[in-house]
Amino acid sequence: MRKLLYAVLLGLIGAAMLHIVLILGLPRFSTGDAYSRVLGLFEMDSFFSLTREPGATGLSDDDPFLRVAVCGFSVAGGPVRFTASGDVPFWSLALYDSTSNEVFSMNDATAVNRQLDVIAATPRQLTDLRKLPSDALGPAILVEMPDQEGYAVLRALAPTPSYEEGARAFLAKAGCDTVRP
Amino acid sequence: MFRVPLLVALALSIAFGLGIASAVQALKTTVGFGVITLGPWTAYPNAQTSAADPYARAHRARQGRLLYGGAEGLQFIAATDSAGQPLDGRCRYDIVGQTPVARFWTLYMADAQDRAISAAPELPTALNAWTALHEAEGRILIHVSARAEPDNWLASKAAGPYRLVFTLLDTPTAGSSGLIEVTMPEIRQTGCGHA
Repeated sequence: MRKLLYAVLLGLIGAAMLHIVLILGLPRFSTGDAYSRVLGLFEMDSFFSLTREPGATGLSDDDPFLRVAVCGFSVAGGPVRFTASGDVPFWSLALYDSTSNEVFSMNDATAVNRQLDVIAATPRQLTDLRKLPSDALGPAILVEMPDQEGYAVLRALAPTPSYEEGARAFLAKAGCDTVRP
Repeated sequence: MFRVPLLVALALSIAFGLGIASAVQALKTTVGFGVITLGPWTAYPNAQTSAADPYARAHRARQGRLLYGGAEGLQFIAATDSAGQPLDGRCRYDIVGQTPVARFWTLYMADAQDRAISAAPELPTALNAWTALHEAEGRILIHVSARAEPDNWLASKAAGPYRLVFTLLDTPTAGSSGLIEVTMPEIRQTGCGHA
């Protein structure tokens, strides 16, 4: 009887350990996380506009009034510059690292002239960028990436169907390009 | 003589069975800690940050959704009415009250996976700060039912559960801890069936 209790207790301890390992390990091994899905679009270095129906990787713009575009990027080959401008009532940008932690987010109210101009770079690239004369970068906002890979999410608001075209054009024209030094 | 292998098998089956089941159940039932609950509405303002707890991280890795950044907005989801009863297509609801401070808000109906649903393409299932009619002092009153109603109306399915997703765009709610003063509209059930 004591052996049976011992076995049950051992099982419970094992279950607790397995529970912790599964919860902690899932983000690392999941293939359905947002970054893997963005990579699955095979669209590096350009914004990919999502559709209402979930695409091949299961990403979709869920909110009926928000058009969403994503861009998977890597700062390994140089800083990445995000640009967009256009006539939308609201836009917002969020940068995430490869583990889907938010690195930076902003919206049009905090942008210069309501235009998107953000540069993501590694700490070393940032030092190089800051040595450049100030007019070379313009009003760009510099963001430090904790690791090299990440993805950007750009949302544009279309409150009524007449804004739809403007929002789509805003996302289609948005840039997500590596800056060649 | 089979007692020792039997005990080992028992310990292993408890460990794997309970360990896997509890992990799956935890991911199904909770989105992690750090929830804000305002009446029936729940939001996770830190789910997308590195400050998120392990459960929130595991959940977001499994869901693979594009979350809202702190400066983008905050998404509230309601699966029940203010009385705690699950939202059901057979019932009629009034969403009434003041919306929190935000530059813009959107409201849409979603299924259990939080994907937008529509009863039929020609029926309204989403409203936003511009298209909704406001009462005096900026209060809103939105009817949710399967049958058409005057004023603000969202068409629900004739039956079955659904959720309401209320997204605040560019809201101080997302970035600050002063959440106590935020009030979300109530969801009042006004009747069920054809009565």
